[in-house]
Parts: sequence; structure tokens; C-alpha cells
Amino acid sequence: MGLAQNVVFGLVTGSYIAIAAIGFTLIYGIVNMINFAYGEYLTIGAFVGVLSAGMLPLPLPVAALVAMAGGGVASLVLARAFFTPINDTGPVPMLLTSIGLGLALRNLIRLTGGRSARYFDTETATYRFDGLPDLAVGPVDLLGDLFVTSEQLVVVGSAVAVFVVLHAMLTRTDVGIAMRAMGDDESLARVRGIDTQFIRDSVWVVAGVLAGLAGVLIGIQTNVSSSTGFSHILQILAAAILGGAGSPYGAIAGAYVIGLVLALSTAFLPAGMTGISTAVAFFILVVVLLVKPSGIAGQEVREA
Amino acid sequence: MSVGDRLPESIGDRLPDRSGDSALALGGVLVVLAALFVLTPISATLPGALYVFLEVAILFAVYGILVLGLDLQYGHTGLVNFGHVVFFAVGGYTVAMLSAEDPFAGIGLGLPWPLALVAGIVVAGVLGAVVGATSLRLRDDFLAIATLATAEIFHSLFVNFRGVFGGNTGILGVPQPVKALAGDTDTTLLATLLLFGGACAITFAVVTRLTDSPYGRVLRAIRADELVTRSVGKSTFTYKMQAFVYGAALAGLAGGLFALYNGAVAPGYFTIQVTVTVWIGMLLGGASNHRAVLAGLAVIMGLRLLSRFALGVAPVSADAFASIRLIFVGLVLVGVIRYRPAGIWGDEKELGVDS
Repeated sequence: MGLAQNVVFGLVTGSYIAIAAIGFTLIYGIVNMINFAYGEYLTIGAFVGVLSAGMLPLPLPVAALVAMAGGGVASLVLARAFFTPINDTGPVPMLLTSIGLGLALRNLIRLTGGRSARYFDTETATYRFDGLPDLAVGPVDLLGDLFVTSEQLVVVGSAVAVFVVLHAMLTRTDVGIAMRAMGDDESLARVRGIDTQFIRDSVWVVAGVLAGLAGVLIGIQTNVSSSTGFSHILQILAAAILGGAGSPYGAIAGAYVIGLVLALSTAFLPAGMTGISTAVAFFILVVVLLVKPSGIAGQEVREA
Repeated sequence: MSVGDRLPESIGDRLPDRSGDSALALGGVLVVLAALFVLTPISATLPGALYVFLEVAILFAVYGILVLGLDLQYGHTGLVNFGHVVFFAVGGYTVAMLSAEDPFAGIGLGLPWPLALVAGIVVAGVLGAVVGATSLRLRDDFLAIATLATAEIFHSLFVNFRGVFGGNTGILGVPQPVKALAGDTDTTLLATLLLFGGACAITFAVVTRLTDSPYGRVLRAIRADELVTRSVGKSTFTYKMQAFVYGAALAGLAGGLFALYNGAVAPGYFTIQVTVTVWIGMLLGGASNHRAVLAGLAVIMGLRLLSRFALGVAPVSADAFASIRLIFVGLVLVGVIRYRPAGIWGDEKELGVDS
């Protein structure tokens, strides 16, 4: 397999990690917590997507929208139930709560959804992306033997769409501008009359919607199981911290770095060591934390 | 506001009590009793119904050593180590790899077990020093993530490097010295429980000595206010590092004992659930109070015991039951943090949870 093929895998992986990492980093920057249960939000979204696509059945794009809505609702409800009441206790209790919640959610999904993996049926006509040429039919004569599937194009395209919408939201809408203001200085934002609780809730919804989309995209690429989110949370974390936790644009860059490193590392690791990618992602994370012990540039400025 | 006002009251006037000495005596008695069963022809006969109690009690003693080390790190020094299981695992794996004969998969050098046990403690301590050197300057929640990361890295190494760590099977053929000496199952169980209980009590005594001394006062001062502690001339990093290494070495001891009792190590014994269990025990009982953390651990392990009995009568499969138990464990962690942030027997003022 050529190097170029690995780059394609890296860009695809980077795309869905980026979508999730934006949501994760918004929670970090504005609610000021590391939400370790965030991976389970991806799983919830993926399950809502695969169930609505398979049972109702809905066309895939509609199922993805349902999954995004499900992710947003779940995120807001869980935040109101578990995180909002302990908002003032500091980062450590919030983190520990999210670890406990993640453990409970993961097993709740396993209990109700079963242990076996589920698949998006991308082969049948209902779920074909009719408008797109199926490039997987043969090697694309661009950089030698380069395969690109329509599913991969959907993942990368969704990510680009998310980046555009997110940028517009953060720079053009009142809610987005208020989010950035709260990320910079919460008390100042409150003095300026920003309804901080409303903005927090908005962040939870946006993060949940992004998690839902990321979950569906991962599901399209591989499969959906109760461990879908948990097996990606470490990469999401690494991307967010690598990009400077709290910075959405940094998270995008961090996600593509992680994606490419993971994809290229498989080229150098022996076969059968795919499970090691978790270790690779976390190794990157630890190295980044070593180089920048405070974790975040923005945080240092604020505390000074 | 003076420094004295900022430090919790109990730090200044916490005086040594006799609990360390009585624990030491208890530990000695238990070890002697264990030796009686192991080294003499005396043997025990137990009703079969007691087996499950003994198994959970042995695990409690092992986790007790873990939680005492964790309490030294978090309860006293304020270090949020959420990867405690990695030191437990590294202790266990080191002992297994050095002492196992015919390990089926992975490395087994067949060295004498006492040597392996010492090596397990040392290797866990060294790993603690490496993790500490790289991570202790991090903000609390980033330290938690970095330690969690370390644990996940090692877990995936254990699973993926089959030639070295035996993969998912782990390493079999670890010597079981108590079993070899005691002979029958009943005597082995009882002697192991006495021996591990003794080890746990002696650990309690040592940790209590350490934290009752002026040294322990510095640790608690670091947790209360690191900047102030540094301003009175204490090298807080050195103290944090020492506390971290002591905790890691204790976890290594627990891991080594576990391997020698169990006769095998595998990734399945060293999951994040172990970390969560000892954290719940510590938070439930009340961090920074050694007796309280053991009591908290007893509560959560008691629930584990109850759930074993519940499994027998519950109308669900073992797999579904495992999920239900973990849902419950996760929610207990959430509930403890929300409703009993200082724990059942903890000192709210000392932990500063009301601030």
C-alpha cells in the first residue's frame, strides 16, 4: 500500500476526529471541564443513526440529521442532570463525574444495544450516495494506485461543511460571539449581560450535535458498537490538547495531525498491531503535555 | 490573610495517635498466624459457602494496599492520579515475567519469586518516577488525563505484544508460594487472607507513620496551597515526586502479591475498573484519612460481594449482569462526588470542598 493511500486514510480519520474534537474543545473552553464521557455521546449518535437508518428506514443523510439531533438532546439532558449541578466544584470533580458517567453510559448502551457490531448498509440502493461518482470502482490514476471511496469523500466533505458552518457561527451569530467571549473571560462576559447558563446550554447542544455526526461518520467507515466512542475518545482528547485545548481551530489542526500520524504509523508497525493506535495517540498526547505543561496557551494568558 | 488562616486547621494540630502502632501489631500477628498455617502441618477446613467471602476479602486486602498508596498521592498531596492501575499492573507483570516457568505465552524467566517481588516494587516505583517527572507539573485535570493515558498505553502494550506480555492470555505459570507450602485449597485461602491482611495492616502502619510525621504535614500543606508551601522554602516538586513514587511502589507491591496469589496475570485483571474501584473507595470513605479510605473500599467491595450473590438469583445473563454492575459503579462514583464530596468519614474542612 502506497504512502499516498495512507495519507488518504489519515485525512479521513482526521476529518471525523476533527468534528468530534471541536465539540470536545468547546466544552473544555467554555464549561471548563474535560468531558471524558464525550466518547459515549459519539456512540449515542452512532446508534441513533444506525437504528433510524436500519429500522425506519431512512435515507442515510436524514438518519445522520436524526443522529445529530439525538446527540444534541442527549448532551443537553446529561449536562443538566450531571454537570450543571456541580459546575462550581472545579475541574477535578467534573472530570471524575464524567468518567463515572461514561462508564455507566457505555455499559447501558452495551446492555440495551448488545455486544455485536452493527453496520450502516451503505451497499443497498437506499443508502447509496446517488449524486456522487463511486471512485472505489477502480484505482484513480492520479498518484499511482490510489483508492478513494464515496464514503470517504462524504466524511471529508462533511468535515469541511462543519468547519464552514462553525466558523460562520463563531464569527457571525450572537450566540457564537458570546461563546468566544465566555471562553476568553467568563466573569467579564457575565458583566456585559451575557446569559452564561444559556450559552453553556448552547455549547452542550452544539457539542452533542457534532458528536452525533462524528459517530455516524465513524459508523459509515467501520461499524457501530458500544465501544465506538470510547475507542476514539483518546484520539479526540489528543487532538484537542495538541491543538491547544479550548481552541476550535487548533482542534481541527490537531485532529489532522493525529489522523495522519495514526495512518502513517500503521505503515511502519507490523501487521496485527492495529490495536496499538490508542497507545500512539496517547503517546502523542503525553509528549505534547510534556512540551507544554500548562496544556494551553490561552489558559496561561488568562491566569497571568 | 495570614498563611495560618489559609491552611485548614487540622493540619497544624493533627497529632500522631496510636493507630499506626496497633496496625503494626495486628499486621505482625496476622503474618505469624499465616506462617503457622503455611509452615506447620496445621490445616484449615472451611465450609464451601465461605469461599466467595475469602476470595473477595483477599482482593480487598490487595486493593487496600492500592488505596493506601493512592490516598498518599491524592488524599494527602492532592495528586490526581487516575492511572493507578498501571502501577498495579506493572508490579504484577514484572513479578510474572521474572518468576513464571513455562508461561505458555510471553516471557517467563523462572527466577526465584522473592527476587521478582522486590523487582516488581522497584519497577513500579521507577515507572512512578518517570510518570511523575513528566506529569507532576501539570494542572490537576491534565495530570489525571496524563496518568490515565499512561495506563491506557500500557494496557494496549500488554494486549498487543504477545511475545513479551502474552497478549490477552497473559502470563501463566507464576509460582504460588502459599499454595505450594500450604497444600490444600482451604488452608491456602485462609493463609493467603491472613498474609495479605497482614501486609495491608503493615502498609497501613507505615503510611500512617509517614503522614503523622512532619513530612505528612508538608504533603497536606501542598494540597491545601502549593504556592504558600513553596514560599516557606519547601521544594514542593520533590515532595510530590516522593509521594507519587511511594504510592506507585505500594501499587507495585499489591500487583506482585496478586500475581503470586493468582498464579497468572492478564490484561483483564488490570482494567480502568480497578482505578475506578479504588477511587470510589477512597472518595466514599473520605480521602486523607487512612481508616476512612479502607472503610470506603470495604463498602464498595461489600457491594461487589452482594452482587456475586445477586448474580445467582438475577434473571439475566452473566454478561448483562456485568454491564448492570458497571452502570451501578459509574453512578456511585457520580453520586459520591455530588452528594458526599468529602466522603462518609472525611473531614470537609481539611479537603476544602466547601470553598
